[in-house]
Amino acid sequence: MTREEILKGLIEILENTPQVDSSKLKNVTEKTDFITDLEVPSTELINVIAKAESKFDVEFDDDDIDDLGSSVSGTIDLIEAAFKNQ
Amino acid sequence: MNKVAIVGMDGVFPHCKDMQEFEEKLFSNQSLIRNWDLVASYDKKIRTKVAGYATPEETGFQKFSNGLPDEYPMDLEDISGQIPNVNLATSDLGSAWAMKASLGAIKDAGWTKEEIESEETGVVIGTGSGGQEGTRKVWNLFFEHGKKTRALGSSNVSRSMIYRDAANVSCLIKNKGVCEAIGSACATGLGSIGYAYRLIAFGLQDRVIAGGTEGTALETLIGFDAMQVLSTKFSPEESSRPYDKDRNGFVCSFGCGIVALENYDQAKARGANILGVIDGYFNNSDGDGDMFAPSFDGQQRLWTGLKKQTYINPDVVKAHGTSTATGDVVELFSIAAQLGKDGYHVSAPKSQFGHMLGAAGAVEVIVSLLMLKKQMVSPCLNSDNLKTELESFQTKDDWQGPKEPLAAYRNLLPQLALAKPINQIVCLNYGFGGTNSAMAISKD
Repeated sequence: MTREEILKGLIEILENTPQVDSSKLKNVTEKTDFITDLEVPSTELINVIAKAESKFDVEFDDDDIDDLGSSVSGTIDLIEAAFKNQ
Repeated sequence: MNKVAIVGMDGVFPHCKDMQEFEEKLFSNQSLIRNWDLVASYDKKIRTKVAGYATPEETGFQKFSNGLPDEYPMDLEDISGQIPNVNLATSDLGSAWAMKASLGAIKDAGWTKEEIESEETGVVIGTGSGGQEGTRKVWNLFFEHGKKTRALGSSNVSRSMIYRDAANVSCLIKNKGVCEAIGSACATGLGSIGYAYRLIAFGLQDRVIAGGTEGTALETLIGFDAMQVLSTKFSPEESSRPYDKDRNGFVCSFGCGIVALENYDQAKARGANILGVIDGYFNNSDGDGDMFAPSFDGQQRLWTGLKKQTYINPDVVKAHGTSTATGDVVELFSIAAQLGKDGYHVSAPKSQFGHMLGAAGAVEVIVSLLMLKKQMVSPCLNSDNLKTELESFQTKDDWQGPKEPLAAYRNLLPQLALAKPINQIVCLNYGFGGTNSAMAISKD
């Protein structure tokens, strides 16, 4: 799966998250930050990461999630790494 | 003690889209009870077939498809867009209803933003049951499907904690005063309003949003079905039949009732529309060690306590009247022991919409306020035949109550809505654990 396909999948998750303003999702790139740019509440970001595990059928390490931060690129890195570890 | 006024009300009611439809159906003698397809889908695993519930189309809240399979907890969406998604993210269905009804009651009250957000405004809302549907899904994901805790979602605590309804309403309206839940099983709704009344009467708050809510949950219904206390074998509209000799259980219902209480002098000074005045509130316990059975002695002490609070001369007694075999008789004999055989009427609104559990007392306060407004007694549907023989406990030496059978009190129970002058109503509710609550409400 390419980074573009992962990004597309993350945007689909955000589109199904009622707290996220859908108008903010038109220009999401790897440089976007979930919290500062998209105003995703931090409690909801936990759900986005958990939904990503379900959607991409991967499992993240707890320590990696603790160090993740809130950037889209970091999340794609994490998903890519999880694919490689499968 | 400050005098306390009720200046706003709203709710979510079975088979109704709003307060107006609720009022119209109540006083045109309609039943709000229906067969429930979800119950029917479990066939003989569930004894009862009927319930009181509102559909997503009626309540305006639907489950939001968040892209996860059905076994995951769902977010809610307010079709009207009135409740922001950030608030719905932390609420379950009952809390969402409480938020919607609180906004309705506040609109009725006409409070300003400054008043709502002040330290003198409180929220007291309770519910009868625990986390229910959401909690079941979360537990299943962890215990049965072996998911990590983060897969369960971050909202389970705020959606299942005991005072979730009060907390969600408080976060929505941003009051700075008291925010608590009262829990007393089926007396929760009246208990919450009673506690809110005391906060204002004792000078601790100027205004309080108060009530009870019970979100639709099959998980709740099956618990009572297991106890074999739910109505069976009657058509939906005939299934709730308080005091009738063929009654065989209550109808499990879901809904929400919220009222806006305010210091009477302040409400009067600003020209508020006063829906009713709370004359007094009293609550106690049976003290007999019995979790379930009603107590004549406990209810007699309840009346005595209420009479010490204020002058009691009701035109209507709004009874708990659940349609269970043991509850109804003890309650009616207890009322008659205090008030005699005539001069007042007994309203049994559960005959129309079933038993809304933690919401029941609050919704029935709203029914009482509607009775004051319309000057009509809501009916006791299906009380067709009252037993003409004595109850077995009436023949025992230690029985202190009335010595006549239920049929002797026929004239107290209007089978159709009845127009008459109504100045004072006594509201009664009881709950498991032997808890009893009584409130007297009057016209301004």
